[in-house]
Amino acid sequence: MDSAFGLVGDGFAILAADASAGRSILVFKHDVDKIMELDSHKLLGGSGTPADTANFTEYIQKNLKLYQLNNDLNLTTKGAANFTRGELAKALRKGPYQTNLLLAGYDEGCGPSLYFIDYMASLAKVNFGAQGYAANFILSVFDREWTPGLDVAGALEIIKKCIHELNTRFLISQPNFVIKIVDSSGTRVHEL
Amino acid sequence: MGDMNFSLTTFNKTGKLLQIEYALNRVQQGKMSLGIKATNGVVIATDRKVSSVLVDDAEYVKMQNITPSTGFVYSGMGPDFRVLTRNARKAAQKYFLTYREVQPLAEVVRESALVMQEYTQSGGVRPFGVSLLAAGYDKESGPQLFQIDPSGAAFGWKATAIGKNYVNAKNFLERRYNEEMELDDAIHIALLTLRESYEGEMTEFNIEVGIVGEDGIFRILTPAEVRDYLDEAN
Repeated sequence: MDSAFGLVGDGFAILAADASAGRSILVFKHDVDKIMELDSHKLLGGSGTPADTANFTEYIQKNLKLYQLNNDLNLTTKGAANFTRGELAKALRKGPYQTNLLLAGYDEGCGPSLYFIDYMASLAKVNFGAQGYAANFILSVFDREWTPGLDVAGALEIIKKCIHELNTRFLISQPNFVIKIVDSSGTRVHEL
Repeated sequence: MGDMNFSLTTFNKTGKLLQIEYALNRVQQGKMSLGIKATNGVVIATDRKVSSVLVDDAEYVKMQNITPSTGFVYSGMGPDFRVLTRNARKAAQKYFLTYREVQPLAEVVRESALVMQEYTQSGGVRPFGVSLLAAGYDKESGPQLFQIDPSGAAFGWKATAIGKNYVNAKNFLERRYNEEMELDDAIHIALLTLRESYEGEMTEFNIEVGIVGEDGIFRILTPAEVRDYLDEAN
């Protein structure tokens, strides 16, 4: 039921995720933050089975922290994405994590980047992406609206359109969304 | 009862690990290697003299790439160096498989230093009879030069020398080194330093010079290139 989606703009990347948690016909709460801050310049949005998502994203976050402590160096977004994919791949034939991810990050050299990682450990660097049922609706919006070099305002407009599309056409009601931006100065939450 | 395996490297009364001291002695008997870090790159150089004219030295290369942007050279026992190189390369490939990125020099050094230390504390083995010089260029940290001793201790250097006559060489380097040196100057100084302690005539065929510059590619200079630098140094 989770919706997670994001896109890359000029010097930044945006991730958005719905904020509802529920099971079957019951909604527990509407203020869940499904976008984890992996480090100062990386965001990981997870969708899928709630326990797996929480467990796996925490595991990745702590391992990245360990890397940083051991080596006095932050891993690049590409490195983190490949590490994450590797962990999913290792678990795939044993006890797979049913987690679909969008990893957004900013690196000094190459700027913002967005990686699509699904539960079967596929990895793709993308300009925009969506996970969950939402993808069926949102990708069309992105296809139509996304251009390279968007500014923050333009990107937020597109995000708003995505949310509107979900509210109009998606069966599951998702009243709240959490939006986070990552750029050269780090990660921040954006209130719509 | 094959479970027991005790370390051969044990402390003496004065707190010394003699096996490591002896390993360092072995290093000091080895042919000289040196390295200099410049603002835009690192140069390492080594004495590559062969013992006899009968030696077919076409395949004899002392410097080795570990990753495309890092190179190792040694003073001491060649066979021990081979083991460490192999180990470091495997570790670097493992890193690449996980992160799809080239392992940074500091981590390459850490891996090798760890292995060398293990051999001073594991059962039934002796320390490696080499000191390593590791040169590399990262985007994050720029040019770096490291030395790793048989004890597993690793040091970052601006300029250093190991092997025979290393004390004289380091004194020479101390006088000649300056922080603003660029790679070309560093190569020049490296050759002068090497020649100071060289027995016999130093030519482009009996030394080896490796550089890594801002392009991040470690490579060994061709004899022709070394010849040019040698001519300048005359």
